[in-house]
Amino acid sequence: MVALSNLLAIDAVIARACGATVALILLIGAIDKLRDRELFEAIVENYRVLPAGAAASWFARALPAAEIIVAGLLLWPAARFIGAAAAIGLLLLFSSAIAVNLVRGRRDIDCGCGGASGRQTLSWWLAARNAVLALLALLGATEGAAREMAWLDAFTAVAGTLALFALYVFFNQLGANAPRLKSLRRHA
Amino acid sequence: MTDALVVSNLLLWLVVLALLVAVIALARQVGILYERVAPMGALTLDAGPAVGAAAPTMSLRALDGRAIELGIPGRASTLLFFLSPTCPVCKKLLPILRSIQGAERSWMNIVLASDGEPAEHQAYVARQRLEDFPYVLSRDLGLAFRVGKLPYAVLVDEQGHVRAKGLVNSREQIESLFNARDLGVGSVQELVRQRG
Repeated sequence: MVALSNLLAIDAVIARACGATVALILLIGAIDKLRDRELFEAIVENYRVLPAGAAASWFARALPAAEIIVAGLLLWPAARFIGAAAAIGLLLLFSSAIAVNLVRGRRDIDCGCGGASGRQTLSWWLAARNAVLALLALLGATEGAAREMAWLDAFTAVAGTLALFALYVFFNQLGANAPRLKSLRRHA
Repeated sequence: MTDALVVSNLLLWLVVLALLVAVIALARQVGILYERVAPMGALTLDAGPAVGAAAPTMSLRALDGRAIELGIPGRASTLLFFLSPTCPVCKKLLPILRSIQGAERSWMNIVLASDGEPAEHQAYVARQRLEDFPYVLSRDLGLAFRVGKLPYAVLVDEQGHVRAKGLVNSREQIESLFNARDLGVGSVQELVRQRG
């Protein structure tokens, strides 16, 4: 853990903001999935990665719960490393499911990412996005270069988290818009 | 000097956050705009047969072989429900459709409509147990009603006229098509707009 911190020596405030951003993304994603569990179950079934039958229903319940737990771990100082590892695990899981379907040629299914950006369909940009999130999670696990902290640092951490999250929402919206723009260009 | 820096910094953060919110809102609006200028009928925003107009007369054949006649006066009302096996919201609405068909059987028949290769749809019908519903595969039907997004529903009345149509995401929206028919309002969106 110390070696990791020395390798990715960033300021503690930035490290906290990164970790909190991933936690916030997971939390809001989980709430979205719980708000309409039937719909999420249909989305999971659509992926055709799990065996047919009760697996989709079970996964639709288990995943939001896992996301909430991992978000909690990321925010709890003692469990940061485990939280980051778990978050990266989840992101790998998502990216694999997306990659499997992209390779199958099924792009037009709902990604199930949720969020206010509206329905996103699958694309490789999602895998790239998840990789960036994994990096954020990794940075969030580091202790960060120690220095004297002031009250302003707390503000920076909070504002930084909100800003990173807003950037995530923004890029998701661009991702959701992209296929519509493409189809417009094709037909216009 | 430090105080000046702190004030400047705080102000900058607030402005940055405000700008991010504005940029997200803009991106959302652009997304909505793209959706409105749908690929089919890019020049007509409210495309397809208008409410009150006669529905196109079509003779269709369902997956199980039965003949479906559309747009002919003197038949029961028809609720055309456009769906797709890969549409999660459509799947969510299937039990609701079953319940509605049971309740409104006296005056209306539900017809499921989609497009593509029969094999995939037959598997879907078997998986979701949709044998009771007539399931029609017809590209022409979707084109006639300018169906872009799913799930899409069109209510055709006993005289073969389009009574109501629109995107539906919930039981309330499907039932408001029936209300729209009763109230003489054209679509779910128009009903919502009128209700304010």
